[in-house]
Amino acid sequence: MTATERRSLSFVEVGEAVKGMRSDEVVLAISPAFADFFSQTIVGLPHAEVVRQMLAGIEEQEVHARCVRVKHSADLAVLAHTAAKLSGSGIGIGILSRGTTMIHQRDLPRLSSLELFPQSPLLTLETFRNIGSNAAQYAKGESPEPVPTLNDQMARPRWQAKAALLHLKETERVDKRCKPTEVTPDFSASATG
Amino acid sequence: MTASPVSEVAGEGPRRSARTIVLEDRPVNLDGFVEEWPEVGLVAMDSPFDPQPSIKVENGVVVEMDGVARADFDFIDQFIADKAIDVETTEASMAIDAAAIAQMLVDPNVSRSEVIAVTSGLTPAKLLAVAKAMNIVEIMMGMQKMRARRTPANQGHCTSARDNPLQVVCDAAEASIRGFSEVETTLGVVRYAPLVAMAQQIGSQVGTGGPLTQCALEEATELDLGMRGITGYAETISVYGTEPVFVDGDDTPWSKAFLAAAYASRGIKMRFTSGTGSEVQMGNAQGKSMLYLEIRCILIAKGAGVQGLQNGSISCIGVPGAVPAGIRAVAAENLIASAVDLECASGNDQSFSHSPMRRTARLMPQMMPGTDFVCSGYSTHPNYDDMFAGSNLDSDDYDDFNTIQRDLQIDGGLRHVREADILAVRRRAGEALQAVFTYFDLPRITDAELEAAVYANGSKELLPRDVLEDLKGAQQIMDRNVTGLDFVKALEATGFSDVAENLLAVLRQRVSGDLLQTSAILTRELNPLSAVNDANDYSGPATGYRPSGARWEEMKRLRHVTSAANPEQEVE
Repeated sequence: MTATERRSLSFVEVGEAVKGMRSDEVVLAISPAFADFFSQTIVGLPHAEVVRQMLAGIEEQEVHARCVRVKHSADLAVLAHTAAKLSGSGIGIGILSRGTTMIHQRDLPRLSSLELFPQSPLLTLETFRNIGSNAAQYAKGESPEPVPTLNDQMARPRWQAKAALLHLKETERVDKRCKPTEVTPDFSASATG
Repeated sequence: MTASPVSEVAGEGPRRSARTIVLEDRPVNLDGFVEEWPEVGLVAMDSPFDPQPSIKVENGVVVEMDGVARADFDFIDQFIADKAIDVETTEASMAIDAAAIAQMLVDPNVSRSEVIAVTSGLTPAKLLAVAKAMNIVEIMMGMQKMRARRTPANQGHCTSARDNPLQVVCDAAEASIRGFSEVETTLGVVRYAPLVAMAQQIGSQVGTGGPLTQCALEEATELDLGMRGITGYAETISVYGTEPVFVDGDDTPWSKAFLAAAYASRGIKMRFTSGTGSEVQMGNAQGKSMLYLEIRCILIAKGAGVQGLQNGSISCIGVPGAVPAGIRAVAAENLIASAVDLECASGNDQSFSHSPMRRTARLMPQMMPGTDFVCSGYSTHPNYDDMFAGSNLDSDDYDDFNTIQRDLQIDGGLRHVREADILAVRRRAGEALQAVFTYFDLPRITDAELEAAVYANGSKELLPRDVLEDLKGAQQIMDRNVTGLDFVKALEATGFSDVAENLLAVLRQRVSGDLLQTSAILTRELNPLSAVNDANDYSGPATGYRPSGARWEEMKRLRHVTSAANPEQEVE
């Protein structure tokens, strides 16, 4: 990606999200402000690239991907568990605007999960592709190695306050009355920068 | 969030000042800073949405506090009003101007107990008003007088990125000889806890002995280890300043008080933990400033009857650290804990800044006046081994820390120790653990492993253990109901009588209950030192604790000091 070719992403609402019937699907739940008020993660990865990588990771396993927007909560566990419950395979992914991500399974308790990626500043596009791929493998009934993640002692001083700020901004956009909606990603190349 | 950061490439855009480029590369610019947002609580201590102080008492019951009628209290208000505030004195105390109370805190002619007679009746909003009247130097002056124990002390982290018990036993022994009064551990793999906590308990008692140990775990396991005497105190009992955050953790102030009572019933020292920034971090600050919410936590600890509190933002330090006056607020929360007569383990225990200058500046408000524990977790190994996610100070900083003590003649609880002495206690500790592992039929510790651990700086230099076998051994320790007394027997039976005696002396304290007194530690002679027999008596110049005598002589020693008698040599 160069400065002049930045892919942008918006999600088009299709209707109320319903439980999928195909057992070979993964549902991705995006947060209230994802690719909406926010356009990039905490470290500036464009949401368009993040979603593209996750979908590619799912599809490379020959698994179908479906997206839903959750507006009633900015709690990652709620997002991911909602996705899992809507998914025909029982496997879902939740992602917050800042990039924090979780792979969930519908039969697990909400505060448990298959894989959690709590340190949003350390997630790369490659990590997101692997997350998609792992979720798809769970959907096929496989047991993939958990996606390796980085650890950084100094992430706290650099990112903790910004993470709190982003969470507060996301929480402002929560509308408890809304039900999850089925959405389709609309990628378009636009000249920016 | 719409601006694109992508164009920040050399050669593009307007010409940059060479000086700006130098400054841009300074470590401080890797730290995160954010603008205040008081409506959601992203503000250190000065929010227009904080309540105004007020109190009304009827028939010995608080019926209004800080503008809220009793009927509208949340459970934190109710707990504080019923358990923390002295209804006999509150109306008189609340009538005193906040600035006048701040004056009392600073004025050496007003004794510590006179101040506490007033603070016992203050509400959270009033205590906030008092703190807001004080600048950072006044906060430090207040701390110098209000610290409960006369003699300051320090606490270390003893963890291992590989959860290696041998590293922990060696680092705990070194921490002890370097002067730490408490050491705590936690785990990457939680199932390793029994072996690592055991290693810490044994290592801490090698040599002179004395440090108390704890293991930060899920609360039930932490209590179990404490009751068995595998640890000696408990600290990770967290409380929060808003009801939703408390409820998220399935807790109330009463459930935390019940847990505190469980520890007290066995004579085990414990303190609560809280800190500025946790509520806003979890998105539930209810529009209140970080310090106001932290004061509610301090009064929960007071009301629960625990002897002390670990505060100073702790794991949320990146949040107050990012807003204006945040580090002043962190110093103020330590002061308020001390000002309501609690032991204060005062933070400086989490990675805080990329800037060495900022790290030091953040430390001074606790290190200069002295607190009960200047750090509530100084990493006694390189920060990469710190399983509490890194500390503000680590083993790389030992010589700097000792030099600052000597430069300013302030006591942060540590001392320089000769390499030979350090190697000796590390070896003795490793051998003790090796023997105890064999005694309990745990996976063998080889001589090669021991040799590596004695000389290691961190886990990267250790020989790897068979983790699965160790985890089986850890489970056996729990299944066989092994206790601290069994460690004493094992040490005695394997020729480590000196370590056994020290450990027995530590365990015996829970029978006398002396470590339940405020700010209790053990001296090198294994005698309790607390606010009862070592009460802070500061009352101005030439009074209170000052490093002197043998302690000052010990503080004068550094790694390299040129001898005055023979300048061609260094002082040994």
